[in-house]
Order: sequence, then C-alpha cells, then structure tokens
Amino acid sequence: MSETSGPLTPAMFHVLLALSDGDKHGYAILKEVAEHTEGEVQLSTGTLYGIIKRLLESGLIREVRKPAIKNDDARRRYYHLTESGREIAVAEAKRLERVVLRARSKRLIQKLSPAR
Amino acid sequence: MQTNKPPLSDRLYRSLLRVLPFDFRTEFGSEMEEVFREQREETEHQKGFRALIKMWWATITDIFRMAPREHWSVLSMDAKYALRMMRKNFGFTLAAVLILGLGIGANTAIFSIVNSVLLKPLPYTDGDRLVILRQPETKLGTPDAGFSVGEIQDYRKFSRSLKEVVEYHNMTFTLYGKGAAYRVRTGVVSASFFDALGVRPFLGRTFVKSDDQASADPVLVLSYEFWSQVEGGNPKIIGKRYEMNDRVHTVIGVLPPIPQYPDENDVYMPTTSCPMRANPEMMAPRTHRMMNVFGRLKNGETLEHSRADLAQVTQQFHKAYPDAYPENAGLQTTVSLLRDDLTSKARPLLFLLWGAAAFVLVISCANVANLIMARMSRREHELMVRTAVGAGSGRLLRQLLTESFFLALLASGFGLLFAIGSVELMKDFAGQITPRAREIGIDRGVLAFTILCASATTIIFGSVAAIYSRQDVSSGLKEGGRTGSERESVFIRKFLITAQVAFSCVLLVSAGLMVRSFVRLMRVNPGFVPERVLAVRLNLNGDRFQKDEQRFALGARILSKLGTMPGVATAAVSSSFPLDEDNQYGGRPIRFQVEGNIRPELELAPVTAVRSASTDYFRTLGITLLSGRTFRNSDGPKDNPVIILNRAFAHKTFGNADPIGKRVKPIVNDGVWMTVIGVVGDVKEFGLNAETPYQVYIPFSQGPSLGSALIRTTMKSETMADQIRRTLREVEPYMAVVRVETMEQVRAKSVASPRTLTDLFSLFAVLAFVIAIAGIGSMLALWVRERMRETGIRMALGASPSNILNSVISEGMTLTIAGLFVGLVVAFFTTRLLGLLLFQVTPTDPMTYALMPLLLFVGALIACYIPARRAAKIDPQIALRTE
Repeated sequence: MSETSGPLTPAMFHVLLALSDGDKHGYAILKEVAEHTEGEVQLSTGTLYGIIKRLLESGLIREVRKPAIKNDDARRRYYHLTESGREIAVAEAKRLERVVLRARSKRLIQKLSPAR
Repeated sequence: MQTNKPPLSDRLYRSLLRVLPFDFRTEFGSEMEEVFREQREETEHQKGFRALIKMWWATITDIFRMAPREHWSVLSMDAKYALRMMRKNFGFTLAAVLILGLGIGANTAIFSIVNSVLLKPLPYTDGDRLVILRQPETKLGTPDAGFSVGEIQDYRKFSRSLKEVVEYHNMTFTLYGKGAAYRVRTGVVSASFFDALGVRPFLGRTFVKSDDQASADPVLVLSYEFWSQVEGGNPKIIGKRYEMNDRVHTVIGVLPPIPQYPDENDVYMPTTSCPMRANPEMMAPRTHRMMNVFGRLKNGETLEHSRADLAQVTQQFHKAYPDAYPENAGLQTTVSLLRDDLTSKARPLLFLLWGAAAFVLVISCANVANLIMARMSRREHELMVRTAVGAGSGRLLRQLLTESFFLALLASGFGLLFAIGSVELMKDFAGQITPRAREIGIDRGVLAFTILCASATTIIFGSVAAIYSRQDVSSGLKEGGRTGSERESVFIRKFLITAQVAFSCVLLVSAGLMVRSFVRLMRVNPGFVPERVLAVRLNLNGDRFQKDEQRFALGARILSKLGTMPGVATAAVSSSFPLDEDNQYGGRPIRFQVEGNIRPELELAPVTAVRSASTDYFRTLGITLLSGRTFRNSDGPKDNPVIILNRAFAHKTFGNADPIGKRVKPIVNDGVWMTVIGVVGDVKEFGLNAETPYQVYIPFSQGPSLGSALIRTTMKSETMADQIRRTLREVEPYMAVVRVETMEQVRAKSVASPRTLTDLFSLFAVLAFVIAIAGIGSMLALWVRERMRETGIRMALGASPSNILNSVISEGMTLTIAGLFVGLVVAFFTTRLLGLLLFQVTPTDPMTYALMPLLLFVGALIACYIPARRAAKIDPQIALRTE
C-alpha cells in the first residue's frame, strides 16, 4: 500500500471484501456492504467514491473496462480486486481473526455466534 | 416530443456534487449520479418516504463531510508538484522571486510610510477632532504670526465650536541637574494641553489648573525619551528637582512613548513657569504674538462650522482693537485639522514615491509574467500531454495558479524582509518631511498591503496561465506547428516587453530630472566657504545672561580662549549662522527706513535675517566684502551704531547708488539710526533652494545676541570638534554646547530631504532599468532558441550571419522603440507632478528627455546584441538536426 493512501479503514476493508468474489460496480458494492454488515456499515455515494478513488490510487483495485454482466448499462464501471488488494484484504482478515481468537482466549466471547 | 429531463431529486443530487473538486466530479460524477439514482429508486419503492428522507440526509451530510478532504488532497498534490517544479527550475524561481520581491519590497516600504503618516489616525484619543489655529499676516506674507495671550483668552471665551482652546510654544532652556547643564527643548503649555490632546501620563500626573497660576511652584513633565535616556528610566523620578531659569522645578509626571506634536520636546512646563510668557510686558499687549493654538472640535461640530464661528469672533476683535490689527498686515485666523496640517508637506512627496514604487511593481510583474510565459512555452508539450491524458483544463489552471501563488508568497516574504530592513531608512527620510515619521513601522496594515500585492500578482500570472490553459490540445501536439493561441501569447509577450520599457522610461526620466535638479542645487553658491569651518550651536540660560554687557563679556571670553587654541585660524561669535537648522525661516520681517527717503512701510524690503556678528564673522565664513569695510573693534557698544548690508538688500534699497555712509533705521519700537559701513555678498541663509533673503549684519558689540560660535581651522575640522566642545564648556559651564558640526555637514543636512528623494527615485529607476533590460535580453534569447530551425533554414538558403544578426536585433529594438515612444509621452504628462520638487529644472527638460531614452536604447541594444550574436553563429547543419 502506498504511503499516500493512509491506513486501511473498516469501510475500505468492507469494499475490498465485497470485491473479493468478483468484479462489481458501485451500486453493487454499496448494497453488498450494507447487507453483509446487516446495515451496520451504511456507505453513502460520497464516501464510497472517496474510498474507491483512494483504493484506485494505491492500486488495491482497478477499473475493468468491459461490463462483467451482459445487458448491463455500458456506462457502468466495474472494479476488480488486484493481487496486492487481495493480499491486503487477506492480511487484514487474518489480523481480525487473531483479534477474535485473543478475545475468545480471554473469554470475552464464548464462541462464534451471529452478532446480536 | 418528450424531453428526457431527469427527475428533480437527481438534478438536486447533481448540484450537490458541485461542492466536490472538479477533478473528482469529472472522474466519478456521472457514476455517482447513477448509483444515487438506483439507491433512491430502491429506497423509494421498498422502504417508503421516511427512509427516503433518512437517505437524503445521510447523502447530504456525507458529501459535505468528505468534500474538504478531497479538496485538500488536490491542493496538497498541486502544492507538492508546484514546489517540485520550482526546485527543478531553480534559476527561474530565484529570478522571479528576486524581481517580484524587489517590486513588492519597494511598495511595502513606501506603503509603511503612507500607512503611518497619511492613513492612520493621530495617536491621540479622538485625534481627528483636533484642530490647529493660525494667524497669517496675509499682506506681509507671514504664514503664521502666532497668537497673543489676549487673543487666546478671547478665543477660549467666545468660540462656540471648540471644546478646548490650548496654547503651546517651545523654548530652549538650560537645565541643571547631576552637575551638568542640559539644553532642553521645553514645551510651554496650558494646564489642560494634555487633556485636550487626550494624552494620559505614563508616570505621575500631567498639569492641573493650579499648576498654571502665577503663585504656583514650578513643575515639569518629562518626555518618555528624556526620562529613559537622561534619567535612565528611574522609577522614582517623581519629585526630583532640577534647577532651571534660576528656579527649582519639581518633576510631577512622565509622558507615554508617543509622538509629540507639534515638536519633540524634552520637558514640558505650564505657561506661568516660562519667564518670557509670564512676563507682564509679554502678556498685556495684544500684538505680542508668539503662541501656537490648538483646539478640539465639540461633538457634532464640523470644520466648516468652526471656520465660520472663528471668523465671527475674529471680526469682533478687529472691531474692538483696531490698533492690534492694522489694515496693511491683513491678519486672519485660519483653522485646519491637525492631522492634515501635520502631513500637508509629506502628502504629495509620498504619493509621488508611491507612484514610482508602483511602477517598479508593474514592471517586475510584467517581467515575471514574461518569464512565466517563456517557461510555459518550454513546458507546452508537457502541459499538452497532461491535458491529453485527461487532466481537465480547470485542473491545469489550478496547477498553474498554485505555482503562481507560491511564487508570489515567496516574493512577498522577500519583499517584507526588504521592507523591514529599510524601516529605519524610511523613518529618516520621512522625518525630513513630517513629524509623524516616528510612528512608521510594519504593522497589520502593511502586512495586509503586502498580501494584497501578492494576490494581485497571483491574479496577473493566473491570467497569463489561463491564456495558456485555453490552448487547443490537438493543434498544440502537432510538432512544430504554430497555433493561433501561440500567436496570441507571442503578442502578449511583446506587449509586456513594450510596457516594461515604457514604464522604466518614465521612471528614468523622472529620476533624471531629480538628479539634474539636485546637481543644480549642489552647484548653488552658498555665499560662504564651508570647508574647514566648525559651527557650534550655543544656548545660554536666559536669566544668567539677561544683560547685553553679560553676553558681550561672555562672547569676548569665548573669542579670546578660542584665539589661543592651536589650529584655530579665525573665530567669531554670532546670533546664528547660514543654514542653521534652528533658524530655518529667520525672524519676523523687519523693514528699514532710509534717512531722507520717506517711503510707505510696505514698499520697503522685508529683512528676514538680522545677524549679530563679531568682527571676524565674515573672514571666518569666507563671505566676500563687496564695498566699504567689515566690523572693527572700534565699533564698540558706546560708539556710533553701524550696519552692514547684503548685496540684495543694498540693491533693493539704494539701487545703483553707493550706500556707504548712508543711515538706516529699523521700524521697531526702539529703533536707532545706523550708518552703513559695508556691503557683503549674498548668503543662502535659509536653504540652497530658497530665495536669497534681504539681510543685515550688526556688530556683536552693539547687539550681543549669542547663539553660535564659528571657527575656521587650519587642519581638518572634524578632528577639532571634541576639543572645541571641551574648551567652550570650560569657558562657561552655564552655557549649553548644543551641536558642533562642520559647515559642510550643515550644508549636507540642509539638502538631506531632496537628496533622499533623489536617491529613492534613482534607486527605483535603476531597478526598473535593470529589470527591463534583462527582460528584453531574456525574451530575445528565447526567441532565438525557438527559431533555431527557422534560422538554420534561412542560413541554408543563403542568409548571411549579419542578416540574422540584424533581424534579431531589429526584433528587439522595434519593441524598445515602441516602448520608449509610449514612455516619453507618459513621462511628458506625469513629470509635471514633480514640478514643485525640481530646482532650476523644468519638468520637460530637453536634456533629460534626450539622455534617458538614449540610455535605455543603448542598454537594450546591448541586451539584444548578445542573443543576436548567438543566432548569427548557429551552424545550419546542427540547427536543422536539433528539432
């Protein structure tokens, strides 16, 4: 990650996560983040594109010229998780996993259960 | 046909996006609109109105939250890029910062004077309501006769527009304390003087009514400077006693460190303490005028009202005391705002200088604009490429503006340092034209002005940059192609060069006029020989040397002591000496009647210089004797009164007849007949640029007024100054030795103001000259580089090196000549403003109008020749290959 883009924020991580199983356009990312966090992380267009700009600049994602799904609006730009983006996302996921493990070892939480 | 207009909410969203930076919008705008539309539609259909409102709210706050960050990131990127470019082009940056910095610095320095002297209110409470009264004798040409005690009392009683009427005059007394005698400039004031001016004491108190009574104990208020310098800032100064005028004076207060008006004084005393002012003979007659009068306008009163009010009061005086207001004197009372009065002399000079400084700034801006354009034409390709790969033209403009901004910022910093460094110089200069000089400093106003300069230059360069950023990408990318906008920019560059030449021509002509005027001034024969003469300003304690015999005896003691000193050729004592700064305007004019010739008083020549002089005065100063003889020891106090006239007065009074042996009598109370024994050459008593006054000399023995000693030395005068000072102190400890200067110093001081003004103008002109010449040279050098290929082709087709040389030179000189022409026309009209400052030189002096443009012409020719020679030496083979 280049030094200009700053640290990886949770919202950025969610965007990377959303792109980890395939290229998506902006609205799809927005929707997926909202669904997967059960509404906890609600991105608005401004923040979303601020994040996309920074992720593009630091090379964690890149634009894909051709629409990934047929019949989709040709104007849409799709975003693709790059190799370094994937590495960063994996590293962050592992870090979070270690955090959870540690919390469990301290009996802060009992077992993996749906957050409620 | 149905229009495909997006719904209102989408249009609202689009306008909301305008708070984001241009680049961001260009890149993501339409996509964001699309996402928003989908998001809105889904929310509207599936979650209802309330959710929609919530979504809108989240969207709006979100955009406003992220916008600053995006703007900042663009700005910091631009800044980094600009700084990198500036470092990379260090030579350009340095040149631009220096040139602009000098322009801004000159303006900031002059503005620091304008700001403090003309713009800021007086440093007194409600200072803009203070007025000064004057009583000119309009028919006698006396600018201010002053006011008598009776007049002041009546104005105080009868004026309805003034809240306070206070008087002021200043005297020099000798103060004894700590075993030494100080000559102190003493302000003699009404008890309510400081209250009227709104000055609060720094220590102790100022005067109250009971201090200004005949029976009151004498008290003094010290100026802040006297207290801190002579008394070392002694905090227990209140109650200290000094001896002055043979009475003990007690210190009651110290003034704050503010500029004192109308004069800088060391101490202040109430009117009853001044031996002269308190003398009943002085107080009674209405014609004994010597005081200055100040007043404060009542709230709601205007200056015009006050004028009418005072005119009415004055008219009553004239009726009540016709003897005190003779018809032939034409006495009138005028009132003006103190603020205007204090700066009336400085105003035109400052505006002229400011104009000159503004010219320098314009020239430096034009020059740097040219540098920028030249550099941009080299960067053209880079800019084109950047545009082609998608940097919006707005983005490019912003980038260029950022660079201009940093340039202006650095230049302002440099300019500000320049101005701070020259503050003392500016104070010295302004001190010669206004008493407000000591208020000069760099304050918020000056800083604001510098920022204004910087902003103006940024905008100018921004416009230059904008012209470039409008360039058509596709045509710019075509190699070697000349585009329409390129022609436009070449035109602008030529225009900028012409403007620089024109403006510097105006400045050079102005400076040339000033220099010529100053040279004329220095060539004026002062009427005396200043070399190897020391002038000593003396001050006597009035009470100890009240009688003529006492002063005569002291003079004799001084002369006999000086006569025995080695190195002294001749010595004299006198009331004053030529160009004496304490005697700048002479006394009130005295008229002399000639025996057997009854002419009306007003037809007689007004004598403004009556000099009491000892026998060797003329020999010491080297004043020529034209006919008759000078004073001798035989012209004693009891002998026949004698008088010597200067040539101007002798000629005016006696025409071509020989005045020797004729008798004249001054028209004053106790005037006696005096025999004319000699005529001497005219002396420039009151300034080299002033008219020669009508002057008479009376022997020191017959009218011993002791104000100075003059010593002609056989060696360098400066080396004897200390010795003379010591000797004079030994002769009489109760006499203050004020100044010991050589007459050459005295003469130099008398022209200090025109000298500084000439220096400043010349400095500005030289700056302008150098900048303009460098501008022409650098533009041509660039021109040559850009046309390498063209030149190569021409040479290959048979053009000789001299053809090339000529064509390059004529390219530069055409612009120079155009600039000179414009400059001369502008100078013809603007130099009229200098008229009053010029001495024996007209504002359209043909010599200056010929020489200065010639100087510029030659300078430009040299500047053109250097790049032209390089062009002529181009090898066509290499030139054709380079591009």
